[in-house]
Amino acid sequence: MTVRSDTVVDARVCDPRVDGAPDGWSEFACTAGPHAVWEPELLRIEGWLTRNPPLLVTVHDTDGIVVALSALVCRPTRTPRYAPRRARRGPMWAEVAQPWLSGLPGVVRRPGVSGDHLRVAVRSAERALARRLGAGLAGLFYRGVGSDLLPELIGRGRIHRRTDPSAVLDNTFSSVDEWLASLSKSRRAGLRRQHRRAEADPALVVRGGPGRTDIDAAAVAGLLNDHRARFPTPAGDTRSPIAAPYVEAFVRRPDVHTLTYHDTDGRLLALNTLLDHHDVVVKQHWAALPPEEGGRQGLYFDAYVRAVRWCIAHGRPRISSGRGKLDVKTSLGFTPRDVHGVIAPRPVMGR
Amino acid sequence: MWNSLASRLWRAAYLRAVSSAFATVPLYRETWALHGRTDPVLVPDRTGSNGGALAADTVQRRLVDTAPLAGGSTEPDPARGLAGLLTHATQRRSHRLVVVVDAAVTRPPTGLPSGSRGCVLHPDAATPLDDGPVLREIVDTLRRGERVLAVGEDKNLDALSAALRSAEPPTELPPPDRVPHHRIDSLTGGPFGLLHDPLLGYLGVLRDCGRWHVDCRHVYVRETTGGLAFTVLDRTSPRLVDVLVGGGVPGEVQACPRHGSPVIET
Repeated sequence: MTVRSDTVVDARVCDPRVDGAPDGWSEFACTAGPHAVWEPELLRIEGWLTRNPPLLVTVHDTDGIVVALSALVCRPTRTPRYAPRRARRGPMWAEVAQPWLSGLPGVVRRPGVSGDHLRVAVRSAERALARRLGAGLAGLFYRGVGSDLLPELIGRGRIHRRTDPSAVLDNTFSSVDEWLASLSKSRRAGLRRQHRRAEADPALVVRGGPGRTDIDAAAVAGLLNDHRARFPTPAGDTRSPIAAPYVEAFVRRPDVHTLTYHDTDGRLLALNTLLDHHDVVVKQHWAALPPEEGGRQGLYFDAYVRAVRWCIAHGRPRISSGRGKLDVKTSLGFTPRDVHGVIAPRPVMGR
Repeated sequence: MWNSLASRLWRAAYLRAVSSAFATVPLYRETWALHGRTDPVLVPDRTGSNGGALAADTVQRRLVDTAPLAGGSTEPDPARGLAGLLTHATQRRSHRLVVVVDAAVTRPPTGLPSGSRGCVLHPDAATPLDDGPVLREIVDTLRRGERVLAVGEDKNLDALSAALRSAEPPTELPPPDRVPHHRIDSLTGGPFGLLHDPLLGYLGVLRDCGRWHVDCRHVYVRETTGGLAFTVLDRTSPRLVDVLVGGGVPGEVQACPRHGSPVIET
């Protein structure tokens, strides 16, 4: 579907389940460098195996894609079914978000695009979504909007609120010891102890690296979903369980680093994924068995030590560890960054 | 008469099962959406393999994913469908006791006519030396002059007959009626027989016309490039749709010229 706006841009809505990657996506991926979860093939798998499938909205000008939005089509009913193959009528809203990137927006732009250019492009994408989803669309909800993007999304008739901040560590360190030295004495000692214990444990098999092919995707998906199920579901959480085929394709990517902890019987005890990025590395999924089921204490902190060590070694400027557990993350040197939610009701979409 | 209306209704029931499985059951959603299938076409521009049918061992391995998202059992019932086929499988209308002699069947058949009871006997227990409760119950029922029907593989039924002949105290017991069940790759000519699969249960029956009739009220079968694919229509969990039983046996689905209902030829 193509909508030609009055300005310089075209907005296209692509359903990754059945459509190929948008024109110019590979060039856009090279210049904008979105995180791994934006890959259309991953969106295709995710779309088929979720209740709220993502649509990929791209806005083009003569130089290619200006901005890309990931919009989850959500409905108020929560029946235990996957998303229908064809769009149905009825009330719905779209969440512009990347469900597996906590604290980051569902908007990626070409470097250098900002101000009015970005504003026009986003409004064009909104109009395209409204046309695609029809009369049942109640509005758009932008999640994880940072302070840099906020001015282009707010406007008359739009509602915006500050939500839980995300935690970001600015990598100004030359070594892990320098990072540890910046922390409180008790946290520093605790991190060293946990890391030493994990390294010395003969019954613990720790493996990490990019493009892992030795991972049992079903076990990983099971551990992630069980871990999520142990905590209360946040209000308004529209995410579906993670499916094994998605994990299988995801961990094989070269920009996805997966750290796994197994016992000597091969049972997966904990895992952490790290999305490599030239600007913001994302410390993404964390899941662990509880101690009463055989899990180990302290692996959460060991994973932080390993993640920070990797980022320092590879010169990445920032690490984001998403929202939640801010007190713990602050004690690890992370600083809170403002995150906003913006609602664009249907009457003001595209305006 | 297997007229076009009955055939269309049968096909419609199958399409409903496929549609429901695609919308709610992880195994089929993953397999069909990510790898595509050909019939019915659910995912545009994707063709899939074996017409979207799945090998029985694949389904067996992933039974946990055959329950719908709303939840349900993941335990197959190997005795499913037996009760509905017994009227065509034997010449008697009912039996006091129906015994399934098969290692794969662990629970008695359900849905038997009133007055009939079902039980299972492990083949290892069908020996003259065994004095288990099932064997005692069979002997007692036969001694009372009531009818017993034994269902299982030929060798197991032979073992049961031998065990009954040597039952203590020695008396002249009438032999139980017997209906052998067969896997799809070893169908024989009868005179009696049932088509059985340990995962899907009882799928068809050998009728007096000498053809293998599909249990079309509860089972759908279609031809695929991988072989005959069976669908259990009336069981929601575990959902068993387009399963290539016996590793995929080539065959044809036709209408029986005598009864008009669907039959398979392998």
